Amino acid sequence: MAEAKNRSVSFPRYAEYNCAFKYIVEQALGCRYVMPPALTKRTMELGTKYSPDFVCTPFKTMLGSMIESLEAGADTLLMTHGLCRLGYYGELLEQILRDLGYQFDFINLSDYDMGKKKEYLRIVKRFNPKANPARFLTQFLEGLRMAEYVDEITGEYYKNCGFDAVPGQSRQAYQDFLTAMYTAQNRGDVEAGYRAAKRALQSVPLDKPQKPLRVGVVGEFYTAMDAFSNLELEQKLADMRVEVHRWMNVTNQFLHYGSGQKNLRVKIQDLCRYDMGPTSTANIWYARECAERGYDGIVHIKSAGCTPEIDVMPVLQNISADYKIPVLYLTYDAQTSDVGLMTRLEAFYDMIDMRKKVI
Amino acid sequence: MEKQTITIGLPRALLYYRYAPLWKTFFQELGMETVVSSPTDRDILEQGTALAIDEACLSLKIYLGHVAALVGRCDCILVPRVSNFGRHRNMCTRFESTPDLVRSVFRDSGQKFLSYEVDEELKKGEEEAFVELGKALGSTAKAAKKAYKAAKKAEAAFHKERVQKHEQLYKRENIKVLIAAHSYVIEDPYMGRAVTEYLKRAGVISLRADLVDREAALKHSRELSPTCKWEISREILGGIQQHKDDVDGIILLSAFPCGPDAMVNELITRRVKGVPMLNLVLDSQSGTAGVETRLESFIDIIRFKEGKL
Repeated sequence: MAEAKNRSVSFPRYAEYNCAFKYIVEQALGCRYVMPPALTKRTMELGTKYSPDFVCTPFKTMLGSMIESLEAGADTLLMTHGLCRLGYYGELLEQILRDLGYQFDFINLSDYDMGKKKEYLRIVKRFNPKANPARFLTQFLEGLRMAEYVDEITGEYYKNCGFDAVPGQSRQAYQDFLTAMYTAQNRGDVEAGYRAAKRALQSVPLDKPQKPLRVGVVGEFYTAMDAFSNLELEQKLADMRVEVHRWMNVTNQFLHYGSGQKNLRVKIQDLCRYDMGPTSTANIWYARECAERGYDGIVHIKSAGCTPEIDVMPVLQNISADYKIPVLYLTYDAQTSDVGLMTRLEAFYDMIDMRKKVI
Repeated sequence: MEKQTITIGLPRALLYYRYAPLWKTFFQELGMETVVSSPTDRDILEQGTALAIDEACLSLKIYLGHVAALVGRCDCILVPRVSNFGRHRNMCTRFESTPDLVRSVFRDSGQKFLSYEVDEELKKGEEEAFVELGKALGSTAKAAKKAYKAAKKAEAAFHKERVQKHEQLYKRENIKVLIAAHSYVIEDPYMGRAVTEYLKRAGVISLRADLVDREAALKHSRELSPTCKWEISREILGGIQQHKDDVDGIILLSAFPCGPDAMVNELITRRVKGVPMLNLVLDSQSGTAGVETRLESFIDIIRFKEGKL
């Protein structure tokens, strides 16, 4: 393989985290980064065409995004490991892309035993044999810090953006923040962008009722977080003047709690004894948390065929019955339409709005 | 005073087809009785479908039907959590969720459920899981350990004899078809049985990819798919790898919409070449005519290829 600086690395589009991937690839690994084009209908058509029928939708999205990355000039693709079917994505994605005739280097984290620390160094050396581990770690942590900032600002944005006194001001601040993250070259840029976004969002004048409608979003790790995949569900809800809350993100799931999440499991022992899947404990805990905080409704998001999230649904149904909190169950596949979603959201909104007035 | 015997309910679905000898011997050794739900019929399927989330796989729907059939008929129903046997030796996440899923679905029934947990990656092995299980049922740790050892022996003997008998079939002269399916799909009267019975009537020998020496199969699976992470899929992959040249055709048989099969079967069709292959997905339709038509044309293709048609 050519020198690291000539390597053009890409990872499929995933919510707004690609700015952090870009930062880590460019700054920590010293490679070039190819930003996959924004997800579009074409991405989904490409992904669906070459994927097996019953695979979960994120596989199709990622396949489409990888094809578009290759078209944009990437020569090295990275795929992660995972606890559900995600752990097998890599091998099948590579096989499909090779059968299509693409030429590229594929780095599949499922090939490595991610429980062992020294494996991480092997992976870094694969990208860049001359990488300095200490320097890599510093820059890598800066990239993770960026992901944390993205999560924090995104959360603040969806909580308040439906209540702008002058519509569009929050959105402008959020867009400026993302631009700053996607163009950041060093730690100073990241910190400055974050602080500017904090100030900007806090100074937006809001016209918020004393008790606004509040909705909690739970669900599958890809579809619940990726705005394109869930057809901008959070924005749609916010635009109806709803406070949108979501716990599930990279920061909470991986960076702050690790995979153990022991302290979450303690709180839901009466609902379930074991981990039911990779994100089940967090989702069940947060759904109940929303109910106990007196939120007006919960939206559960998953892609078609997502086994762990299907299995969580009976527990959510019990929470819904015990706490009298409405839950809207949404399943997304490659054909889910904007209009259909809007109809269901409007009906859900009318229902929780009416309940609020009665109760 | 006479001590009442404890009765354990075993739903005849999912892991029952893998662990029946282990479970039965274990409880028998501890002096307990087991009751198994009757083979799947229309009622069980319909009741399970009504209890399950629409999008769940057919196998889980049938499982819930079997659990419902046992409610009130035993002291407790065994629903284990089997997560993994080590790295890249996972079960489908559905086997992680079943105990809590079943408890949630049946929480108003008053039925007691019994679980044990196998999660080697968290250092929870099968042996200690069974010792805990025995202790929870009032046995001593020593008795439970002894019962587990006996059960393990019975399980190994049962599987070995089954594999040996199965190996004999490869020597028979006739059209041979290798079926790649989970045991709970191929052995269930409402799923795979329709396929095997049709093949029998058509004079075709049906073989099973998963009836092989499991350790050897796990090794061979790596030749077909280096990162496959599911234990049962790996046994099937290993079986295909070992026997693909001994058969005239391969049927990939799965229940709609099986998560692992959706991906592994795609990989098999892309990597195993030179042998006719049929991808058959079963759903809860009542008739078998659709399946039979596809099997008929598949057998015709094999016969045509061999110049026998």
